[in-house]
Amino acid sequence: MQLAVNIAVLASIYALISCGYVLIYRVSRVLSLAHGELMMLGAYGLYATASLFSGQPLVAVAAALALSLLVGVLVYVALMWRMTGESVLAAVLATIALGILLRGAMILMFGTQTRHPLEELGWTNASIEVGDDARISGVGLALVLATTVCYGLLFAFLRMTRWGIRMRAAGQNPLLAAQRGIGLHVIYALAWGLATLTGGLAGMLIASDAGLESTMVVIGLKAFPAALVGGLDSLAGALLGSLVIATAEVLMVYYVDPLLSDVVPFFILLAMLVVRPWGFFGSREELDRV
Amino acid sequence: MSDLLLRLEGLEVVYHRVITAVQGVSLDVPQGGIVALLGTNGAGKTTTLRAISGFIGLDDARVTEGAIHYRGERIENLAPHRITARGIALVPERSKVFENLTIAENLEAVVTRRGANRRQLVDSIYALFPALARLRAREAGYLSGGERQMLAIGSALACAPDLLLVDELSQGLAPVVVEELMDQILRVRVELGTTVLLVEQNAHIALEVADYGYVMENGRIVLDGTPERLRAHADIQEFYLGAGGGQRRRSYREVKQYRRSRRWYG
Repeated sequence: MQLAVNIAVLASIYALISCGYVLIYRVSRVLSLAHGELMMLGAYGLYATASLFSGQPLVAVAAALALSLLVGVLVYVALMWRMTGESVLAAVLATIALGILLRGAMILMFGTQTRHPLEELGWTNASIEVGDDARISGVGLALVLATTVCYGLLFAFLRMTRWGIRMRAAGQNPLLAAQRGIGLHVIYALAWGLATLTGGLAGMLIASDAGLESTMVVIGLKAFPAALVGGLDSLAGALLGSLVIATAEVLMVYYVDPLLSDVVPFFILLAMLVVRPWGFFGSREELDRV
Repeated sequence: MSDLLLRLEGLEVVYHRVITAVQGVSLDVPQGGIVALLGTNGAGKTTTLRAISGFIGLDDARVTEGAIHYRGERIENLAPHRITARGIALVPERSKVFENLTIAENLEAVVTRRGANRRQLVDSIYALFPALARLRAREAGYLSGGERQMLAIGSALACAPDLLLVDELSQGLAPVVVEELMDQILRVRVELGTTVLLVEQNAHIALEVADYGYVMENGRIVLDGTPERLRAHADIQEFYLGAGGGQRRRSYREVKQYRRSRRWYG
């Protein structure tokens, strides 16, 4: 039972992070390798707003989320905009450079010591009993809920709303989308904003559970196999990939060796790339990925 | 002569900064008219249309000389969505629909021009193409060639354009289907008041509906006139209409030579 709970929480973490990879890849064919850093930036954002709005935790959380959205849009406007028309490789390299830059800047600003944004907010991480013999932390529960809500909203947005449909259209055929009057830059900026928002939310929750330090980037990196295993251009795939990776990881850690935690996701990724390189739900033609 | 909607003046388009695809092309499209732009493969017809509808960064092409006047304003090198917003919509030759979207979603994704009544427009598109209304929940990737072309025209019309650019309407479709589509184009002009610029290899079909035609070759316009005049022209008969007049059909090279010499001598 405890294993199932652990799997659910870890899968939620991976799923919440990997939907950002999928969103950006799906609309612009660019793999954002700065996603882990942007996630961490979201967490530091919460830490900053928590001390800024002390005593008003809800305002702090809302401000941190808004900040994440804004950062995502800014990354597109300031950097990725200029990458349209360049090769995808150039754009991916730009995200790597951005990631390294952000990591350095965050260490400069916040130092390397562990921070606890949850304490800063004045909340505690209660432990809740599930059934007879399992426990889940309050933040863990929030993670599962947040992931469910985010995916629900994203699916509804992409299926039902006009802007969601436009986003899918632009991802499939950018030239035709432009010819049908869709402003591509608006769509791309929106995708970056949403990806950074969900990533930032994941970062905030992880930091609230486990503390915040600069090694958090690794989790962002481990969510990347989840997105790839599912098929990079599919949200449902990201969900399934996260579940697969989380299950394997939790079982290996429990039955074999805790040190395998960082290895398992990438081992599964390699196995998948050999057997079925386009992932569970990815489209087969989309193999020109970097 | 009625008002001019579109005028190209000495248009030159260069790809990748070195390859000139279109050179010195001038043509006029009057308001409410149907104009045909004819020519063989690689003559520069599609490039001309794409120049009018706007290139995006991925194309790496630019209008380097000349001008595109639309309603008296210059629109060359504007972004495509801005050109669509001014009332020009393109039905491209390839990848003309969003394949993973349903018909209804294809129409929903379109940005309708400000001021136009979207719902009314979509209704009139469904009225024009009843097949689209029937199949509206189907993914565009599963449509037949004819239905796909209808959807392409329909989603271009959903932008509420004043000028519809159509690239190779007849490509790969059965003659019956092409005839039907051409009838729809005529209806579009009458019912929605849309002006049309048709690019076609199939001169026979295009001259049937057009009021005026231009013939392109090697990136230049080599001939223009009313359909009657073009049909009567020897080159057109030889090449585009396939009427050899009983004599041995001249080879492509011979006719080319002939045309080239004619260009120099008169």
